Amino acid sequence: MYQRAFHRFAFAFGAAFALLYVLALAKNLALFTVYPSFGVVVWGTHLAHDVVDPALGFLAPAMYWYGWAATAALGALVVGVLAAAIPARWTRWIWQGWLWVVPATAMLGCVYLTLPWFSLNP
Amino acid sequence: MAIVLVIIHGLVAVALLGAITHQALSSWAPASARPGSFFGRFRTVQSAAFTNAIIVLYLVTATLGAIVYLYFRVEIRPAMEQASRWEALGFFDLKEHFMAIGLALLPAYFVCWRQPRDEGSTRTRTVLTSILAFIVWWGFLVGHVMNNIRGFGA
Repeated sequence: MYQRAFHRFAFAFGAAFALLYVLALAKNLALFTVYPSFGVVVWGTHLAHDVVDPALGFLAPAMYWYGWAATAALGALVVGVLAAAIPARWTRWIWQGWLWVVPATAMLGCVYLTLPWFSLNP
Repeated sequence: MAIVLVIIHGLVAVALLGAITHQALSSWAPASARPGSFFGRFRTVQSAAFTNAIIVLYLVTATLGAIVYLYFRVEIRPAMEQASRWEALGFFDLKEHFMAIGLALLPAYFVCWRQPRDEGSTRTRTVLTSILAFIVWWGFLVGHVMNNIRGFGA
């Protein structure tokens, strides 16, 4: 029984994380922001120009990747726990292929969201 | 410190690359391959035996990568931006995104290689392993090229 519940958790967590990660990336929803130059971590999404003068933004580079991953992990954890808690007969009809279709689509979404990097002229 | 970490990160990534490539190819290789052939011998290796090692190696690689990323953001990226290496930075960002998605797939990947095989689960397992193999190859190649463009201590 616990084994089946873990299966449901693992499958739901993987797919939900991929979906939520690309959403967090698109909407810049970081659970926390890291400023590696200062060794500071602050809750929520903070842009560098909120912390220092815009002209000095390069002195305080902000990192959101950890925060995006944390946002997605938190949401996926909730989805995973819910999936593990519901009766197995409710999930039996769900196609197992979603487990790879959702992450593959999310990866394409990440490519789309990264495209602006490639249009910057040297 | 960053140089030591990036070297260990690279070495662990090589081990991960070998293991995941072996497992992915043996998942795709035809079961009817000639016994004496290269793929025949490839197939005889028990692919499931790689699963735990791949998970541990992925976790170690991702953890080291997450630590090295802090140094990268401060020491490497500003110089890359000044040099207008936007494509390289874009590819590197994709590596980070893909690695995060791959990390979250590990529990499902573990389950897929443990559960009894039927047609649906075998396909899911094969595709999931292939996605992870793609992520690892992408990460390895982009990381390697990035280090060539501008490594720590350059």
